[in-house]
Amino acid sequence: MSKQYLTTHTIDDAHITDIFSLAVTPTQILSASGASSIKVHSTTSTDVPLAQTITGAHKLGCHHIVTSRNGRYAASAGFGGEVKIWSISESGEWFEEGKVVDGNNAGEIWAIALSEDGQYMASTTYDGRINVWDLVDGRKKIREFETKGSFGMCIDMSRDGRFTASGHENGGVYVFNNETGRMLYSLPGLVKPVRTVAFSPAGTRLAAAGDSRVIALYDVQHGEQVANLTGHSAWIFSVDWSDTGEYLLSGAFDGKVKVWSIDTRNCVATHSETDKTLWCVKWLPKTGRSEAFATAGANRSISFYREATGG
Amino acid sequence: MRAIRFPSKTPQEAWKFTVLLRILELSHEALVMGVVTTKRDMYYRDPELFLKQAVVDRYVDDLAYTLGVERDALNVAAAKGLVAGSFTTKRKDSSVVDYCSEPQGILVPNAKEIQSIQLIDVNWVLVIEKEATFRTLASKQYWQTCFAGKGIIITAKGYPDIRTRQFLHLLSTSHPHIPIFCLVDFDPNGMGIMSTYKYGSMALSHQNQNLAVPSIRWLGIRGSDILQMKDCEVTGRLKLTDRDRRIATRMLDKEIFQDGAREEGWRRELQIMLMLNCKAEIQILSSRDDGLEGWLDEKLLEALNEGRQ
Repeated sequence: MSKQYLTTHTIDDAHITDIFSLAVTPTQILSASGASSIKVHSTTSTDVPLAQTITGAHKLGCHHIVTSRNGRYAASAGFGGEVKIWSISESGEWFEEGKVVDGNNAGEIWAIALSEDGQYMASTTYDGRINVWDLVDGRKKIREFETKGSFGMCIDMSRDGRFTASGHENGGVYVFNNETGRMLYSLPGLVKPVRTVAFSPAGTRLAAAGDSRVIALYDVQHGEQVANLTGHSAWIFSVDWSDTGEYLLSGAFDGKVKVWSIDTRNCVATHSETDKTLWCVKWLPKTGRSEAFATAGANRSISFYREATGG
Repeated sequence: MRAIRFPSKTPQEAWKFTVLLRILELSHEALVMGVVTTKRDMYYRDPELFLKQAVVDRYVDDLAYTLGVERDALNVAAAKGLVAGSFTTKRKDSSVVDYCSEPQGILVPNAKEIQSIQLIDVNWVLVIEKEATFRTLASKQYWQTCFAGKGIIITAKGYPDIRTRQFLHLLSTSHPHIPIFCLVDFDPNGMGIMSTYKYGSMALSHQNQNLAVPSIRWLGIRGSDILQMKDCEVTGRLKLTDRDRRIATRMLDKEIFQDGAREEGWRRELQIMLMLNCKAEIQILSSRDDGLEGWLDEKLLEALNEGRQ
């Protein structure tokens, strides 16, 4: 069964250059780009007005931005190798709470993920290390996992904070147990760079995708691959689970965004507003009956889609 | 600022003085004999003393700077550039060199000795990072078979030397209407080389006004060129090394790459290079069905048409 999604709004030229990353809270969408400022738009009204511009956030541009599930914290990673931690005030303004610096090495931190409450941040390095930081207790590094030394291109943390997963340039996908500090699984299946990983909301499944153009689904309990979602014909840069875990969203280099049913393992919708790279796709937290998502990338705009509920 | 003292008690200081004197001697010899020597030749005249090429490079530059002259006033040139194309030069002694009769390319002439450059139906100038690519194009006489009309190809075999930059600068100022394009690898060094042609090198900032070619335009390779190729499996696409990433990050921090500064397009390409963690050499283009020449024909025609609008 296919589904229909309609474009509800597009913020044209939201940034002056490629938008590399999106993050959402229950009321806002944060976007980061090759420019130095981070933008915040309000998703509570349909015209998605600009709520805040954080100027000079990352001088060399920002490649990753993430929020905690509770919507209170955000973390952003810049091309200069610095990570900034943001927190939202009573009045709904983001302010910089501090920085995370790994030793003195610029560029040590690449991809980042935050736990649901914003207490922990996981990050990857160029040489394949995975670090977990306690952001409450002095922003200290509390875990350091080693992998085979291949660039950690993407990372995610399960909502309950128990697991961290990373995807690597050599095709490696790893799952770590944050409590024991051990690697749980090294997951086979992908041989080309893995550019995105995401835990399902319940933490039972892991999706991973990248240059091999398929989305691999893994069972986190047993460390087995349970499905391959095929259909993209270009590198996949971003995947995201819907709130209920029923659907998976994916965005690719050729500008195509797809929605997949986890039940049937079929692609239920494909959209292409643009032929330019989609660097990031993201579901918005569910409000009302229908689900909505946002896409952004090389065309500098943020597009919003909502499920058509005609029938 | 460095001071070199004589006499001195330390062997290190004595060595420095010896190196300086030897370089002065070699430069003097070149001036007296009326020949132009190169840093490379100088090094090989006395490798045991100089230990490494970088020592000669540094002392020659320091010496020129101290004397307040440019390096070729010491008759030291790094003659490494090659040029081929549809043009002749008239030298100050009135002799004429016809480059059309040297289709494979010859050493870049000394701009100081040139009275004028006569272009023969030239539509474009292409600066190429790599010697191998230059040789390939020169052997096919691409500068006269190109669909976009005749042109000039030039390479400095990597980071440009002063002589190549002087010649290109002269070409750009004497024929400002001829567009100059740059073909470099899609990697941080490629961007660095292009930046050196356009803005000059950091080490020789005192000489840059006579050397920079601000009108130079980037023909490729860009990130989109490698990603748009039919199959993403193209050989020749490589991953960035740790060092590449460091260089790229340092470059992004430079003034010209800042938000709203002159090279926003370059900033974007560097960022995308880092995002994709990919680089590619010019050679990747030869894996196309129509090869490097087909790609160049397309890009040059496109760029020349844009220029006309």
